Amino acid sequence: MDGLVLNQNNVKLKVSASDWEEAIRIGGMMLVEQGFARTSYVDGIIRAIKELGPYIIIADGLAMPHTRPEEGALGIGCSLITLKEPVFFEGDSSPIKVMICFSAVDSESHMDILKMIVEFVERGLIDDIAEADTYDELLEVIKEDEKERRN
Amino acid sequence: MLQILTVCGAGLGSSFACQMSVDAVLKELGVKAKLDHTDISSVSGAKADIIISGKNFEKQFERYTIECPTVFLNRLVDKKEIKEKLTPVLKEIGAL
Repeated sequence: MDGLVLNQNNVKLKVSASDWEEAIRIGGMMLVEQGFARTSYVDGIIRAIKELGPYIIIADGLAMPHTRPEEGALGIGCSLITLKEPVFFEGDSSPIKVMICFSAVDSESHMDILKMIVEFVERGLIDDIAEADTYDELLEVIKEDEKERRN
Repeated sequence: MLQILTVCGAGLGSSFACQMSVDAVLKELGVKAKLDHTDISSVSGAKADIIISGKNFEKQFERYTIECPTVFLNRLVDKKEIKEKLTPVLKEIGAL
């Protein structure tokens, strides 16, 4: 189940990217480096966005770049990057500060990744995640909220 | 049972995330439904009572003949928006 959750290897914070495409390349190549996708998968994400519009923006400030498994996914995995300066997508006015790229092998089995993403949104964590400077700070943001939730 | 289909570009990410939020809203409303997600290219022959998708797909939907009510969202996992837009449709088709 490696790669399903966030760890030191699939998180990069305050990354510099000049536009959405570069940001997706950075996050997407982290999937490639972890062995979850071929480079073609990253190209496929970018092509799909150009064709279909920014369907990967699911909440203000948050994009989750992904595409169909047959574009070159090798396993279920994800990466999280936050951006030093937000990037914008054509057709959406929201400044994107957090990008969670993922790869999937079918239409269901990556549910844990999506649950995590939806939870981040529902708990209103996107801005706090974007502000974290270190991996430990990021964990603190996620954990702290879990603590509150349990109380 | 009421069938609701969420739709996005790849049919496995945004639509799946949306499905989770729709599920939560339906539970809140006390409406039972069978939920599924798919990609826009499969939407034409899909069987559903309500179709939910992103606003950015509204234009592309015009290419297909859809016989059920459609709901277009600005934000696919915004439960408030889902509730606001889905409730009148559920009432319209007699599910609420």
